[in-house]
Amino acid sequence: MIFYIIRRFLFLPLTLLGISLLVFLMIGLLSPYQRLATFIDSPERLKGADIDKLVEFYGLNDPLIVQYGRWLKNIFQGNLGWSYVGKEPVYDALMRRFPYTLELALFSIFPILFLGINLGVISSVNHNRPLDHGLRIFAVVGWSFPDFVFGLFILMIFYSVLGWFPPGNLSLWAEEVVKSSAFHSFTGMTTIDALFNGRLDIFWDAFLHLLGPVLTLTYVQFAFILRITRSSMLEVLQKDYVRTARAKGLDERVVINKHARRNALIPVATVSGQTIIGLLAGAVIVETIFNRTGIGSFMSLAAQQLDYASIMGGTLFFGLILVLGNLIVDISYAFIDPRVRLE
Amino acid sequence: MKENTPLLQVQDLKVYFYTEEKEELRAVDGVSFYLKEGETIALVGESGCGKSVTSLAILRLIDSDGKIQGGKIILRGRDLLSLSEKEMREIRGRDISMIFQEPSSALNPVYTVGDQIMEAIILHQKLPRPQARKAAEEALRLVGIPEARKRLDEYPHELSGGMKQRAMIAMALSCHPKVLIADEPTTSLDVTIQAQILELIAELQHRLNMGVILITHDLGVVAGMAERVVIMYAGKVVEEGSRWDIFHHSFHPYTWGLLHSIPRLDIKQEKLAIIPGAVPDPLNFPSGCRFRNRCPLADELCLTEPQWREIESQHYVYCHHYSQVEVLKTRGFER
Repeated sequence: MIFYIIRRFLFLPLTLLGISLLVFLMIGLLSPYQRLATFIDSPERLKGADIDKLVEFYGLNDPLIVQYGRWLKNIFQGNLGWSYVGKEPVYDALMRRFPYTLELALFSIFPILFLGINLGVISSVNHNRPLDHGLRIFAVVGWSFPDFVFGLFILMIFYSVLGWFPPGNLSLWAEEVVKSSAFHSFTGMTTIDALFNGRLDIFWDAFLHLLGPVLTLTYVQFAFILRITRSSMLEVLQKDYVRTARAKGLDERVVINKHARRNALIPVATVSGQTIIGLLAGAVIVETIFNRTGIGSFMSLAAQQLDYASIMGGTLFFGLILVLGNLIVDISYAFIDPRVRLE
Repeated sequence: MKENTPLLQVQDLKVYFYTEEKEELRAVDGVSFYLKEGETIALVGESGCGKSVTSLAILRLIDSDGKIQGGKIILRGRDLLSLSEKEMREIRGRDISMIFQEPSSALNPVYTVGDQIMEAIILHQKLPRPQARKAAEEALRLVGIPEARKRLDEYPHELSGGMKQRAMIAMALSCHPKVLIADEPTTSLDVTIQAQILELIAELQHRLNMGVILITHDLGVVAGMAERVVIMYAGKVVEEGSRWDIFHHSFHPYTWGLLHSIPRLDIKQEKLAIIPGAVPDPLNFPSGCRFRNRCPLADELCLTEPQWREIESQHYVYCHHYSQVEVLKTRGFER
């Protein structure tokens, strides 16, 4: 298995190269003038300037492959470029925002998987009975709700009406404490840093700010896991080994939770991997609605502003998450299913 | 040994299934037979005759779309159909064990062989894990698996088909059951392995003094193993008798057809008897005798239900025309 992991890591740069080339070519469809916009930080600079000269200066008229090579050379020197949207180097912008996304992903993935898998199992065991129908309707509603609609509902109920879960990252008073020099940032994730700093009040504040987006993501995403778990369980429950387990005299709970569920989790692992990767790549809409400064809202902003240094840097970062995420899924297979040997 | 009270008695068992349109499907319709301690009986019939359903009903493992609608299953004086689910769980695996047709799908692929054997031992014998592991190793040794200790930690896919079936048998016998139900235990195995597995079952039966119910459509297996034979057709028992009775003077035309459709090396045959047609659709079995639409002897009398007659001592048949079955010898099975 170790060799398998090493080999996958050796392929990683190649994958990233492919992804970056693809994105670069797409950006190349824009005219040099459009792309020049990213280099102009204020309209003042354009006054009386020769635009063609500026295009020439930034090498935007060079063949695409030359431009790509120049970008690649910078990457190897550790320079992802200047983020126009973030007003700081792309690398810094990504690193500063990613913890917010990671934090949201971590807080969401547990309820998503817990609810999805457990309710899926309950649904399958009660196949075609009222509980099953109820759960399926609940799931279908969640699955078909666009997150921007459900997110707004949550915001309306829990913020406007009840005032429980405010949007944003933190309350103003907490933000001040977090930004002060007395507060040490270990991970960039406020809830975890607050615990390390022994500030339960800040943890609680950050947690309340997380609940709205977590609730939205959970309801929209768990439904998919539920459906996969349910159908996978229904298939597994027909298998001979489930009958063998019953013929041994095992309690039905053991038959379901030990013998059937573990087999049913194999396809669920694939889907869960995609869900986790999706969450890590930033929940664009949810981050925007709840005003969280994560990587998703950053990337959507960069795309709107044609900030191609940020887009390229972000894309590479997504590629990295995708490849690592899939690797983790593959490794998790080997733990769930002994027939899978990673070679 | 108590000769007169059988170990297991199935009386007038009825198992019906229900389709989504609420149609009743009488898969097993009034089946009776018994099993004595240390005895092997064979339940024989074509696929779809209800023999597997009967065996699952004994363990009360019928799927949720089926229901046991009547009859009794008496194990040493206790009617299993009157037990609670919890009491039934104690019977399964401890008093009555079962092995299945397809060993590769009957073992759970994600747990080790040892884990799966130990599970029953821990459950029924209340042994702590280390002892259960020893008992599991012993069980594997009993069924002739080499390097038993090593095998405990292997997964089913690491064993060959024959070894898997041996492991299944080890699992079934780990708690020394009184009754072993073997549902086509050799159908999916190579011929050479088949003989080994059957020999193993026979040997363990003597050693552990179990009653064995062998479910099969293979009369060759029956000839080698069973003391008594129960022939089933379309959810009913049509003939029951000792092996000798069944093989040498069967009375039911169906039994006769089954026996004469096997190619034999010791007799010169022009052609094999073929039972025309197929097992009728269980949704509309013929009234009266269910075999009548395939039977060369059928007439108006067969529109009425035949009687269950004892023709010789311990030899029963369910047919109006049992006395004419000799005619088939000259006439063959053509109608």
